[in-house]
Amino acid sequence: MNPQFLMDGLIAGAMIGLGAIGVTLTYSILRFANFAHGELLSWGAYLAMAVSGALGMLSTTLVKPIAPFSFGWSLPIAAVIAILLTGLLALAVDALLFGRLRRRGSAVIILVMASFGASLALRSLLEFIFTSKPAYYTKALQIAVKLGGGLRATPDQLLSLGLTLVAVIAIHLLMTRTSIGRSMRAVSENPALAGIAGVDVRKVIRVVWFLGAALACIAGIMTGLLVQIRPYLGHDLLLPLFAAAILGGIGSVPGAMLAGLIVGLSEAAAVQLVGAEWRAAVSFVILVIVLLVRPRGLFGRAA
Amino acid sequence: MSGSASTTPALEMRALVAGYEPDLPIVRGVNLSVAPGELLVLLGPNGAGKSTLVKAIAGVVPIHSGSVTLAGRDITHVPAHRKIAQGLAFVPQTENIFATLSIHENLQLAAAVLPKQLRADRIKALYERFPDLATAPSRLAGALSGGQRQMLAVARALIVDPPVVILDEPSAGLSPKIVSEVFEMLQQINAAGVTVILVEQNVKAALKIASRAVILVEGQIRHEGAAASLLDDPIVAKLYLGTGHAQNHSVGAEQP
Repeated sequence: MNPQFLMDGLIAGAMIGLGAIGVTLTYSILRFANFAHGELLSWGAYLAMAVSGALGMLSTTLVKPIAPFSFGWSLPIAAVIAILLTGLLALAVDALLFGRLRRRGSAVIILVMASFGASLALRSLLEFIFTSKPAYYTKALQIAVKLGGGLRATPDQLLSLGLTLVAVIAIHLLMTRTSIGRSMRAVSENPALAGIAGVDVRKVIRVVWFLGAALACIAGIMTGLLVQIRPYLGHDLLLPLFAAAILGGIGSVPGAMLAGLIVGLSEAAAVQLVGAEWRAAVSFVILVIVLLVRPRGLFGRAA
Repeated sequence: MSGSASTTPALEMRALVAGYEPDLPIVRGVNLSVAPGELLVLLGPNGAGKSTLVKAIAGVVPIHSGSVTLAGRDITHVPAHRKIAQGLAFVPQTENIFATLSIHENLQLAAAVLPKQLRADRIKALYERFPDLATAPSRLAGALSGGQRQMLAVARALIVDPPVVILDEPSAGLSPKIVSEVFEMLQQINAAGVTVILVEQNVKAALKIASRAVILVEGQIRHEGAAASLLDDPIVAKLYLGTGHAQNHSVGAEQP
């Protein structure tokens, strides 16, 4: 077996893990499976492309690649703006749709169905604005560098892995060491008691939406950078995202990341062992096994 | 006991109607005035609306009409999470602590409503008051015993030094020994000047520590009076406290 599957798996797993953290946070705090989460990845990727393109028109020096990477300063600047915009998009969807249903006391299945609708609408809107033709942040080619042990990776891929690690550590510290993280864990366990204890549950929900969307945006930009930007970018990752969130245990940030890596590595291994056409089945198999054998996942608490 | 006209009640309900569903009121027109420093016990048969009444006051169950005032301020529509900062603390009956958070985190969470510079001091003061909690503050609250959980729930409620504390059946599910400890703790809190309102099934024990008792039947107040007088009133017990014998609800009856 070619050891390169390790690098491929880690890179795919990092993107899945980042997206899965958003899924696990919204799932544990809002208490429904948000099938529109994948669309936040796609929107993040496209928003970054649009902003980056606009910046490129303002100044050509911003598009000049920063060695050794394939992109210029326009992309990191655009990423920051896209993170904010994706966060605002998630808050807008919540204000228009999910928040109204919550206030009405709608059943979980209504929220899940609404998320399906939101997913379709958001994806169609992307296709309408940007067409379904694949797009790229940069046309520059990158040569993979040898890392030893038969592994190769491009500088963009290594940067993505590094940034993922930083983002995961930051979110983990936020959850475990800060006041807002404590409030988030409290709301996740018992929203009514959290309110009685003085936690503004609505504010926590807004923070969770923003945080989940920000991570989705980062994952979307990485996918766009390392693969390509398409309206179905997030939708196609939905099953791996949910497989990772459930395997990691709903509510667990380190669990989602670790499970993301497991899903990514399993996919890459499956591509080598049984063939690329089986890649999409891996998440499904993992999801089914976890649900049958250990529904609370690796780090989830017993129901 | 019921508060002279000159003092503002610590807590007052006027024609309070509340319930989970808009067309299904469980609390049906409660008028009740609680004087500062009182230890009031709310009694009544199962389904009388005692829990719903205190949950409505705490902001957990919707209020349909009527009003609630805290020390003269209208808090009828103040959201639940702002009530603690205004001085009204509520301890629910079950799931009244965060099991997945440590003891210290439970207190830190509650202390977040205080100004930053006061938080550490208040938590320290509570550890002094409840030394059991201070022995292992990093322990997960879910690992605590029933009595310790109740202690943590009460400590959490006391974090802002509230003038009014409402407890929904603090003795539920506890052994008789722990029940008397919890009641002793409530007496001490009351003796320190805190107005305490207590929902209890444990009638005899509650009447012993309470100054006044209110009996709720079908969402309305049927009877109120000094706790001591109700303790000796077999007719009241027969009529309103369930199966007919106050003894059935006593601490002793819960022993295996």
